Amino acid sequence: MIKQITAASLAAALALASGTSHAQWTPDIEAWNSPQPEQADAVVFRNATVWTADDTGILENADVLVRDGAIDAIGDSLRAPRGALEIDASGMHITPGIIDAHSHAAILGGVNESSRISTADVRIRDVIDPDSINIYRQLAGGVTTINLLHGSANAIGGQMSVIKLRWGDEPDALVIDSAPPGIKFALGENPKQSNWSNDDPRYPRTRQGVAQVIREKFQRAADYQEAIDSAPSGRAARENVPPRPNHEIAAIAEVLSGERDIHSHAYRADEMLALMELAEDFGITIGTFQHVLEGYKIAPRMAEHGVGGSTFIDWYAFKYEARDAIAFNPALMHEAGVLTGIHSDNPELARRMNLEAAKAVRYGQVDEHEALKMVTINPAKQLGIDDRTGSLAVDKDADLVVWNGHPLSVYSRVEQTWVDGSRYFDREADQRMREALAAERAELMALILAEDEASGGEESEEAPAEEDSAPGFRSFASHLTSGMPQPTHLHGFAAHLLGYRPSELSHDDFCLFHFE
Amino acid sequence: MISASSILSKRMLNSSLLKILAPAALALSLMIVGAPAAKADVLVLTGATVHPVTSDPLKNATVVIDDGRITAVGTDLEWADDAEVVELDGLHLYPGFVHPATQLGLTEISSVAGTVDTSEMGSINAALRAEVAINHDSYLLPTSIAGGVLSAHVMPNGGLIQGTSAVVNLDGWSWEEMVIRSPVGMHIEFPAAAVDDENNDDLKTIENILALARHHQQAMQAAADGDAPAPARNHQLEALAPLLNGEQALYLRANRYDVMEKALDWAADQGFEKVVLMANPDVQYLADRLANDGIPVILRNVYAMPTRRWEAYDMAFVAPARLAEAGVRFAIADSGSGMDIANARNLPFHAGSAAAHGLDKADALKSVTLWPAEILGVGEQLGSIEVGKRASLFAATGDALEPMSRIERVWIDGKEYDLSRDHGRSLYPRYRDRNAEVQAR
Repeated sequence: MIKQITAASLAAALALASGTSHAQWTPDIEAWNSPQPEQADAVVFRNATVWTADDTGILENADVLVRDGAIDAIGDSLRAPRGALEIDASGMHITPGIIDAHSHAAILGGVNESSRISTADVRIRDVIDPDSINIYRQLAGGVTTINLLHGSANAIGGQMSVIKLRWGDEPDALVIDSAPPGIKFALGENPKQSNWSNDDPRYPRTRQGVAQVIREKFQRAADYQEAIDSAPSGRAARENVPPRPNHEIAAIAEVLSGERDIHSHAYRADEMLALMELAEDFGITIGTFQHVLEGYKIAPRMAEHGVGGSTFIDWYAFKYEARDAIAFNPALMHEAGVLTGIHSDNPELARRMNLEAAKAVRYGQVDEHEALKMVTINPAKQLGIDDRTGSLAVDKDADLVVWNGHPLSVYSRVEQTWVDGSRYFDREADQRMREALAAERAELMALILAEDEASGGEESEEAPAEEDSAPGFRSFASHLTSGMPQPTHLHGFAAHLLGYRPSELSHDDFCLFHFE
Repeated sequence: MISASSILSKRMLNSSLLKILAPAALALSLMIVGAPAAKADVLVLTGATVHPVTSDPLKNATVVIDDGRITAVGTDLEWADDAEVVELDGLHLYPGFVHPATQLGLTEISSVAGTVDTSEMGSINAALRAEVAINHDSYLLPTSIAGGVLSAHVMPNGGLIQGTSAVVNLDGWSWEEMVIRSPVGMHIEFPAAAVDDENNDDLKTIENILALARHHQQAMQAAADGDAPAPARNHQLEALAPLLNGEQALYLRANRYDVMEKALDWAADQGFEKVVLMANPDVQYLADRLANDGIPVILRNVYAMPTRRWEAYDMAFVAPARLAEAGVRFAIADSGSGMDIANARNLPFHAGSAAAHGLDKADALKSVTLWPAEILGVGEQLGSIEVGKRASLFAATGDALEPMSRIERVWIDGKEYDLSRDHGRSLYPRYRDRNAEVQAR
C-alpha cells in the first residue's frame, strides 16, 4: 500500500504535515512499524487499586508482581526480583484485561458465509487479521481477548476463534489454543431472512423452521457419528464402505459430544426456549446466548439450563425482535443466577467496554465489582478460558489494564494494557511515537523538496500551492486507498472513513443490517 | 383542512416577530404553537446539590418553580406554606440535556419501514418540516427522557436541501405542544464530491434552486408592489425565503475536513451569515478558522472511528478539547442517526468521554446543556438552572455525565414526569418480581 505512493504525492502530504496544524493526522502507528513488545522477566506494579474480578475483591494500595508473563503475586509491598521493571501505579487502578465475547473486529473478508443454512464447516481461524488497526485501538481501550465469531446469517454458522490481542504477531500466535472449540448459531430474524428481499428465498422463513432445521442437523450429526463409531474396523472394514467424511456434519457431531460449545445469536424468549429444549433433547447444554435481549424474561429457565448470557447493555429498537431489549437485562439475568457478560459486536464500541459495564450499575444497581466482572471473568468463563485469564490471580496470564482512575468512570482513561506480561499499549509511548513519526515525516519532506528543487521542480504540477494544502492531502489519501478493494457493505456510518482495509470495517451485516 | 398558505403565514409571522422583538415574540410564538400545560402551584425542589451549569454546584440548595418556570435558585430561600415541597435528600439536580441533533420521534423500529420517517427521497426538500412527523407517543421518547434528555433538536434528513428542524420538548400530548422553537434552520448537506469537482452536479442543483428561490422572491415582491402578475406558488422555493433573507440559520452538514472547508467557503460566497456547521470529529482540523469566523459547531459523535485509518486512536475523543482550546462555540451530539436515535440517552457519556480526553469537566456539561440551547436559539429557555428558564430538570444519584449514576426523578416544564413510562423501567420490576417468584417455587 505504501509503495503505491508516488514521490510527488508523498511530498504533497509531507508539505501538509510540516508547519501546519495537521501533523497530528498522520501518526501511522501500525502493526508493521510497531515492534512486538518484549516480555519482561519481571514487572511489579506499585500502589494501585487492584480490581481482582474474583473473591479477593478490590485491594487498595496493592502491588502486582508479574514474572514470565504470569501473575506471580498480589499484595502489600511485594519483594520484586532484582532487575524487575518497577511501575509506579499510585493513584491508578488495575483491572484484568477486558474480554469481548462477541467480536468481528479482526476477520479478513466476509464475516458471513451466508449461502447455506448451516455452514458449520467454515473456520474463523483461517481468516484472522492480526494487523487490524482495530486490535490496537481496542488495546487502547483495555481489551486483551476477543471472541471472533462468524455472522448471524445462518442457523448454524461457522467455528469461532478466541484470540489474544497480540497485535502484529502471526495469526496462529493470537489464537488461545486451550479455549474450548465453539460454534456460532443464530436464531430469529437474521437466519429467517426477514429484513431484506431475496430473489431466491431460502428455507426456513419462520422461527419454528429455524428450530426444525437445527433439530434435523442434530439428528443427522448423531446418525453420522453412530455410523462412524459402528463402522467395522480391521478385516471387516474391507467389506464395507466407510461413512463419507462430512466436515459440516462432523463439526455438529462435536457439538453433540460436548466437545464444541454453542454460542447462539438470539433475541427473543421463545426462540431461546426452543433451542434450550432442543439441546436438552440431545443431552447437551448451550454455552451462551449472544445478545440474549429477552434473557431477562426467562432468566430462571436459563439458569436451570446452565446457559450463559452475553448481551448488549443498551441497544434496542433496531429490529422488531429488539423491541423489548432493556438495559436492565444484565442486572436481571445476574440476579437470577445466569453467568452474565456484556459484549460489543462493534469495533468502535469495543474501545469503551468499561463504560458499558458501568451501565449495569446504572440500570439495576449491579455492584461495581460485579459489573466489571461482566466484561472480564464472566466472559472468560463463558469462553472456557477462565483458567488463564479474566481475573487477577496468581498463576494466571498477566493480561491487565492500568487506568488513570476508577475503571468504570467516564472520566478515566487507559494508560497501559498488558497481554501475557508484555506491554502492548502505553499511552505515553503512543504520544512519543506520534511525535517521532511527525519528525521523521518532516525530515523526509525536506529531503524530497530539496531533491525536487535540484531537479528543477519538474513535478511542480502535482505539488501543492503553498496555501492550498487540502488538495495535497487528498491526493495522498486517494493514493493510499486507490487500488484497494473497498468494502462492499459500507453503511452510512462508515461512508466517510478513509484508508481502512475492508476487514477493519467488516461486521455482521445481518445483525447490523439497519445501521445507518 | 388547513391550507398550506395559512401555515406559511403563521411561520412567517413567527419568524418576523422573533426578529423584531425576541423576548415578547417568544411568548407569542408559544401561544401560537400551543403552550405546554401550565402548573399553577408553586413547586419547591430542596435538599439537592444543584448544578446550575452557569456557576459552581450549590450544596443543599433549593429550586423554586412557578407556572413551569424557575423563579428562584439558592441555598437560603423561603417559600409559601402552600407550596408543594419535594425533599431530594442530596440528589444532584441538573438541567435536562438538550440534544443538539437527532431524529427522535421520527422513527420507531428502524428495520420496520412503516415506522420510519427519517429520510425523504429526492434532492430538494426545503419545504419539509421535521416536527410534523414527530410521533409524540413514540416509545423511544420516554427512554430518552429517563436518560435525562428532555429536549432535542429534531432534524430532517435526505437529499441535498433537507428541510427545516425544530427544538422540541420530548414530552407532550402532540407535536404542536412539544415544539419549543420552529423553524430552527434550513439543513443542507454539502456534496462531498464537490470538493474535487468544480462542476459538481449536486452543488449546481443546490445553487440553481437557491437562484430560483431568489428570483421567485423578487417576482413575489414585484407582484406585491403591483408591478407584475403573481408567480405560481412554489412551496419549495418559498420555504427558502427566510434562509435567503438572513432570518433563518443555515445548518450546513459535512463529514470530512476538506468538505467542511469547501462548504464554509461556499456558504460565505452565497452570503449566508448565520451558519451552524454540523460535522464529525474531522471538524477539529478547522478549529482556528471556525473560532475566527465565529461559526458554531454541532459535533456529531465523539464515539466515532478515526476518520482516517492512520489517525491516532483518540482522534475523535479529543475533538471537543481541540475545539474548546481554539475557542470554537460547540455542542456535542451523537451521530443523530441509525442506532444513536434510540440511544439518545447516551448523549452525556459522549461529553464525559471528551472530558477524559482533555475537555474541562464543566465545559463537558455545558456542551450538552447550555451550549446546544444557545446555538439552537433557545438559550433563554433551556440549558441551565437559572431564574426565568423552563423548569426542565432531573435528579440523579451522582455526576450526570457518569454512566454509573442513576436518574431518579424528572420534571418537564415544572411537571413531574412518570418515569415508569420508560419501557425498561416498566418491564424491569415486572420481570424482577416474576423471576423471584419462579425461583422461590
